[in-house]
Amino acid sequence: MTFLHLWAIIIGVLAAGLPIAVHLLTKPRPVRLPLSTLRFLREAIHQRRTRHVLRDVLILLLRTLAVLLIALAIARPQWGARPLVSDQLDGDAVRVVALDVSQSMAATDRGVAMLERARTSASHFLRYRPGLKVNLLLVGAESRAVFDAPSVNFDQLREELANADVLPERGDVRKLVETAGKMLAPVSQEDRRRRELVIISDFQRSGWAKADFSSLPEGTQIQWESVAPPETLPNLAVLDVRMNMRELAGGCSQCEMDLYNGTPHVRPVEIELRVGESLWNLKATCLPETTTTLTQEIPWKQTGWQAGEVRLTNVDDALAADNVRPFAVHIPAEPNYLIITRQPASMRPSSSWFLECALALRQTSEGKPVTVQRVDPSELDSVTAASADLILLDHPGKLNENTTKLLAGFIRHGKPVLYVTSETQDAMNLKSLLEIVGESVPFPVEFAPPVVGRSRRDLMLASVKRDRPPFHVFGDHLNSVVGQLRFSGGLESRPLEGQHDDDLLAVYNDGSASIVSVTSEVGALAVINADLNESNLAKTGAFVPLLEELVHGLLYHDRGNETARCGEPLFVQLPAETGPSRILQAFDMKNGSLKFDANGNDENKQGELVDEETGTVWRWNSPARPGVYGVRHGEKIVFANAVALSPEESELESLDMQTLGPRLAGGHATYYRNVADGGERRDDFWIWLVVGCVLCMIGEVGAMIAFRD
Amino acid sequence: MSRSIHSSRFLDLGTLSALTYLRFSTRHRIEGSYSGRHQSRQQGGAGEFVDYCQYSGSEDLRRLDWKVLGRTGKSFVRIYQDETNLLCTLALDVSGSMAFGSSPRRVAASAKLEYAQYLATAMSYLIVHGQDQVGLAVLDDRLRSHLPPGGTLTHLARLHEEIENLTVRPSTTMAAGLRTLFEQSKRRGVLLLMSDFLMDDLSEVFAAIKLFRHRNWEVAVLHLVHPEEESLPAGAAFRFEGMEGEGRLDCSPSDIRADYQKRFARHLAAVRQFALAGGCDYHLVSTSVPYLHTLGGFLVDRAS
Repeated sequence: MTFLHLWAIIIGVLAAGLPIAVHLLTKPRPVRLPLSTLRFLREAIHQRRTRHVLRDVLILLLRTLAVLLIALAIARPQWGARPLVSDQLDGDAVRVVALDVSQSMAATDRGVAMLERARTSASHFLRYRPGLKVNLLLVGAESRAVFDAPSVNFDQLREELANADVLPERGDVRKLVETAGKMLAPVSQEDRRRRELVIISDFQRSGWAKADFSSLPEGTQIQWESVAPPETLPNLAVLDVRMNMRELAGGCSQCEMDLYNGTPHVRPVEIELRVGESLWNLKATCLPETTTTLTQEIPWKQTGWQAGEVRLTNVDDALAADNVRPFAVHIPAEPNYLIITRQPASMRPSSSWFLECALALRQTSEGKPVTVQRVDPSELDSVTAASADLILLDHPGKLNENTTKLLAGFIRHGKPVLYVTSETQDAMNLKSLLEIVGESVPFPVEFAPPVVGRSRRDLMLASVKRDRPPFHVFGDHLNSVVGQLRFSGGLESRPLEGQHDDDLLAVYNDGSASIVSVTSEVGALAVINADLNESNLAKTGAFVPLLEELVHGLLYHDRGNETARCGEPLFVQLPAETGPSRILQAFDMKNGSLKFDANGNDENKQGELVDEETGTVWRWNSPARPGVYGVRHGEKIVFANAVALSPEESELESLDMQTLGPRLAGGHATYYRNVADGGERRDDFWIWLVVGCVLCMIGEVGAMIAFRD
Repeated sequence: MSRSIHSSRFLDLGTLSALTYLRFSTRHRIEGSYSGRHQSRQQGGAGEFVDYCQYSGSEDLRRLDWKVLGRTGKSFVRIYQDETNLLCTLALDVSGSMAFGSSPRRVAASAKLEYAQYLATAMSYLIVHGQDQVGLAVLDDRLRSHLPPGGTLTHLARLHEEIENLTVRPSTTMAAGLRTLFEQSKRRGVLLLMSDFLMDDLSEVFAAIKLFRHRNWEVAVLHLVHPEEESLPAGAAFRFEGMEGEGRLDCSPSDIRADYQKRFARHLAAVRQFALAGGCDYHLVSTSVPYLHTLGGFLVDRAS
C-alpha cells in the first residue's frame, strides 16, 4: 500500500494527538475549593466514575480515530504494487505503448469492446511529460509503429490512437517484441534513459503463451495492461471449412466445418452454408469448450472455382466477426494424364500399358474416358507437360538434363509426378530430379541400381501403412490383398538420415522401398519401385484402386490449404495453364472488384500478379479483409483463394499475466494491471475512510447521548 | 453588659432590637435555679394557683387550704405552678466542616460556623436578656470547652468571648463530646445544638442526645446547611478538598450534581428522622437566610 500524499500521514499522526491536546489545553483549571460534603461527592463519583471513564475513553478513541481516518483519506492510500510506468515517475524515459488491435480485441464485454477499454488505458500513457519520448505500436499480424522512433509528438500519437481500429488479424507477439526491441534499443552507450514497454491487450492464451520478451534491451520495464474480463467471454466461431474432394464434377463432396464453442454450456447452433447460389441451413449442437466438426454433403454440378461461406445465425456472442468464414473450392474436371515412356503404345503387355489402362478406366462428367497421353521423353515439351494434371514416368530411359529440369520445375510448381522405377537409369534420373527439386520435396529414401547378383524377384510387401492412402482403401482385406502381391524389378534403396519415414508407404521384404509418396506445400512426387510388367500387381484387382488412390493423393494433396489469413502474406503460385499476368486480373469474387485496403486504394498496390520463372505468382503482403478473392482471365476464373480470420483469435481465453507475466518477461521487471476489473490501482479507499470518519463522529455523538444523565 | 456589647463582633444590638420582645420559650416545664418566667417542673406554694388535690399527709401543711377544711371538714392542698428561670446550653459544633462557606468566592451565604456564631451570640444575648441563664459547650471530637449556664453579664461577656474565638478543628465525630457534656451537666435545661451533622457517628450523636432527653432535657437541633452544600457550586471543574482530612477530589459538579443532591437530601432526611425520633425540636437552617430571620422564626415557633 502506498500513499499519494504522504505528508498527510505525518500531519494525521500529529493531529491524532489533537483531541488529547485539546482536552488538556481546554481542560478547565480546577478551582480549589474546600467542601464539607466530600463524602457524598465521593460516593456519587464512585458510582459514576466507571461509566464516565468508559464514556471519556470511548469519545477520545472515536475522536482520535476520526482524525486519523480523515488524515488517511487525505493521504489517498493506494493498494497493490506501484506501477512501473506512470506519470508520477520523473526522469528521462523512452516508452513504447503496444496496443493490441488483433481481431479478438473486437470482442465485447457488457457492450464495451475490448479495444475501447484498451484505447482509454493507452491514452494515459500518451501524456506529455518532460524527458519522455513515446511511440505507439498497433499490434496485429505486423506491429505498425506510428513513428520510426519514439517521439514527443504526443498530439499525433493520440490522434493515431483515436483512429486505431480492430484489424481482422491475429496478434503476432514475436513481431511486437522485435519492433519494440528496436524502439527501445539504446541509441548510444551513454543512453541511460528508463525504458518502458506498455502492452495493452486481452492476452489471449493462444497468442501469448509462448511469448518471449528476453530479447528486449536490458533494463526494460514491462507493464501488462489487460483489458480482458476475469471470466472468459462466450464465443462461438467457425474455425475452419474443408472440402473432402473425393468426387469430381457430377459427384459429391463432404464439406467439413469446424465449429468452436467457447462457452461453458452446450449450445445449439444454426448454420447457413452457402456455396455459389446454393444454400443449406443446418442445425447442430456444440459441446462446451471444444470444437465440433459438422459435415454436409455437397453435390457438384459444374467444374471450376466457387466461393462460399459458412455463417452461424442467431448467435449472440462476444465476437461477431468469426461467426462467418469464407472459403473457396475448386471443382476440378477429370484430370489429364501424361505418361512419359520409351515403351511404344503397341507394346502389350507392358508396364506403361498397365498404367494407361488403369487410368483410362475413369470417365469424365460427360461419360467419356479421361485423356491419357503417351509421349517419348525425347519429344517432351513444356506445353505438353503443362497440359497434363499428372505426369507419370515409366521406363523413360536416361532423361537428358533439359527434361529433368523441366520435370523438376513442374514438381516445384505443384505438378504431381508419379515415377515407376524399374530400370537402372531410373535411379540416376530420380537422383538428378531430386537434386534439382531440393529440400522442398524431402524424399525419405535414396534409390540405387540393383546390386549385381542379388535377385529382385518375387518380393513381398513386408510392411505397409495400412491407415494411409493408398492401402487404407482395402480396409480389413488389406492382409489378403497384400499377401498375394509379388513384385519384381525395381531399385535398391537405403533410408536417408534425418528424414521421416512417414512417406514410406510400403517396404519389401528385402528392406527396400516399395511405394513412396512425398507431398509438400511445393509439390508432390511418388515412386512405385517395381516393374509392373514383371510383377503380378497389375494383374490383380488391387492395382486399379491402389493406383487410383495414389494418383488421387498426388492430384489433390494441397486441397484445403487455399484459405489465407488476414494480415498475413499471401503467396500463390498460379496454375501453369493460367497464363501470364498481363492477361489476368485479381478481383473480389463477392463484390466484383478487389479492394485491398480500407482507403479504397487500387488493388495492385498491395496485391500483385507477377510473372516469374516458374510461372505466374500472386503476391499479397497483407490481405486486409476476409473474403474470397480470385484471378480471372477474361470472364473465366482461373484461381481463387479465401482470406479468413485466424482461428486463434476466436479462442478468447486469456492468459493469467499476473502469474505468467514475469516468466514471459525473460528477466525484465514487470507489472500487471487489469483494466477490466476497475483498471486503476485501487485508490478509492479514501471514500471508505471518510465514511469511517463520519461514522466515528456519529458514534461520538451517540456515545454522548447514551451516557447523558 | 456594655462590655459584652462592644466586645463581640457577632453582636449587633441594632438589629437585635427587633427581637428584644421575643423570649426563648420552652415547650416543656423546666428546672431552673431561680425564679423565673418559665414553668417549673416544681409545683409549690408560690406562683400561680392551678388546682386542688386531696391532702395525703405527706404534703407541706403550709399549702393546706384551711378555709376549705373549715367549711367542708375535708383537707385539700392548694397547688401552685412554680416558675423558674431557663438553663439553656448552647452546644456548637466546631468540626472542620463547619468552616464551609468561609471562602471569599462564596458571597451568597456566610460560613456555617460564622453563622452559628452570630446565631449563638444573639441567642445568648436574648436568653440572658430574658433573665435566663445560658451556657456554652464547644464540641468537636470531644468536649472542647464547657461554660455552664449563667445569667450574669460577666458570664455573658465571657460566653461571647468564647463564641468569638471559636475556631474549627478537624474532626469527624461528636458523640463523645456530647456524652461528656451530658456527664458534666448537673441540672436539667434546654440543649440547643447547632451543627451541620456532617460526621461519621451520626447515630452515636443522636444516641448521646437521647441521654439528654431521657433526663428530660429539652433538645432543639439547629441543622445548619450551606446552600452550596445542597447543590454544589456552579462551575466547570473543581478540586474539592475535604475539610476534615478526607483528601481531595477533582470533578466537574455538573456531572454528578443530581446524584450528589440525592445523597445530600438523604442525609438531611436522616438527620431530621433521627432528631424527631429522639423527641428533639428540629430546625433546618440555611446559612443563606439572615440569622436574624432564622432566630426570629425559631423564637416565634417556640413561643407558639
